[in-house]
Amino acid sequence: MPGVLALLPEYASLDDPVSELRAVCLDAVRWLGSDVTVLADDQGARVAAYLLEESGGFEAQAQNAFAPQPPSSVVEVRGAPATSLEPTTRATSYLVVGNGSACRSEKAPGHLDERAHDFDAALGAALASSHRDWPPLDLGETLLGSLDGIRRLREVLPAEYRATVDYDADPFGVQYWVLRWSW
Amino acid sequence: MTLRLGRHTFDDDATLMMAIVNRTPDSFYDKGATWAEDKAFERVALVAEQGAEIVDIGGIKAAPGIEISEAEEKDRVVDFVARVRAAYPSLVISVDTWRASVGAAVCAAGADVINDAWGGADPELVDAAAEGGAAIVCTHTGGVTPRTRPYRIEYDDVVAAAIADTTAYASRALDAGVPRESIVIDPAHDFGKNTFHSLEVTRRLGELVDTGWPVLVSLSNKDFVGETLDLPVGSRLVGTLAATAVCALAGARIYRVHEVVETRQVVDMVSSIAGRRPPRRAIRGLQ
Repeated sequence: MPGVLALLPEYASLDDPVSELRAVCLDAVRWLGSDVTVLADDQGARVAAYLLEESGGFEAQAQNAFAPQPPSSVVEVRGAPATSLEPTTRATSYLVVGNGSACRSEKAPGHLDERAHDFDAALGAALASSHRDWPPLDLGETLLGSLDGIRRLREVLPAEYRATVDYDADPFGVQYWVLRWSW
Repeated sequence: MTLRLGRHTFDDDATLMMAIVNRTPDSFYDKGATWAEDKAFERVALVAEQGAEIVDIGGIKAAPGIEISEAEEKDRVVDFVARVRAAYPSLVISVDTWRASVGAAVCAAGADVINDAWGGADPELVDAAAEGGAAIVCTHTGGVTPRTRPYRIEYDDVVAAAIADTTAYASRALDAGVPRESIVIDPAHDFGKNTFHSLEVTRRLGELVDTGWPVLVSLSNKDFVGETLDLPVGSRLVGTLAATAVCALAGARIYRVHEVVETRQVVDMVSSIAGRRPPRRAIRGLQ
């Protein structure tokens, strides 16, 4: 799911600009259950922590014998070495926070970049199917994608996985997905 | 403080627009535009559509003029209040009167608030509010007689005087049985005040807010705005809104206004700047 800061309570509006996305994200987080490892950059980790709390995940996690620490202690942050994945061997679920490009329209945060739609299409296909090639994520960084969590996801995903796409849209010129994987 | 205005309650942080509806032939701003009952009713419909939470119905202009008897004042407002009550059950109805007998009659007809612009000139008005289940607005006028203009009035400290008089009035209302959450204070710009007084009250409005009583301000197109900017009635909106912004930043709760839409925008914007109100819909930089 995307690390949209507008999901956070400190950025709440009277009229929620991301109400549909919020609902889909919360449903997906509840689906994960209580034992969750978050793969995200710093901002994404804040969004994940909030959504877990909103969904009741934090409380459930605190009750889990394998993860008695506060949820932030299991967040995989930007630049973490591969060995830090060790706690995930205990986890039953991953919450991956990231999104595609932010250059999909003239009003997008990164303005329009003609490469954005092709990149997002390729990344979306790879996320949705284990039989598709991944696009170059370095290009995605150029297109202001939030990809740290997705890079970590690639290390976690097995060769075969199934994906359900719950949300696929770019309401503000930024490509969002909410997907659920299982294997 | 949570507000209870007759039948209606409002959250602690709610700001409210009180739209002026004159049932007079000679008020200074509209000059009789809503004197006819149907015109006044059209005005109610307009301000309700614009989002005003309160209508303030007045049957006598504030300035000196032909004496209006109690019977005549009742003729102008009581049936009109009943008509508005029936048509707009969710609208707060305030009546601008200093007379207890009129207050009692409009409460019986459905009024929620008695707006006493003349600072308790009739000491029995608080009883009428208490018995009628209405809120009351306690204003500061410096003790002047209703419908008189200020003349060489001076104060050692106009804000201290406004606080002392309005809070004393509030205590009288409380003693009479008006619930605490139904008592509002108003420093009453221009009433018993020269322009320097009204400017100082505006500048120091936070001191009234700090009393803990919800504060109403009535600034709309008044002479202190006109004298400050040397502008006639009809050209005072910008000055009114500037004063409104200062009062909103200080934490005023109710704004008695001619222009609902413009005032609401100013109050909402300032409330958001002050951190009391979230933006309507913020996504810039947060996508």
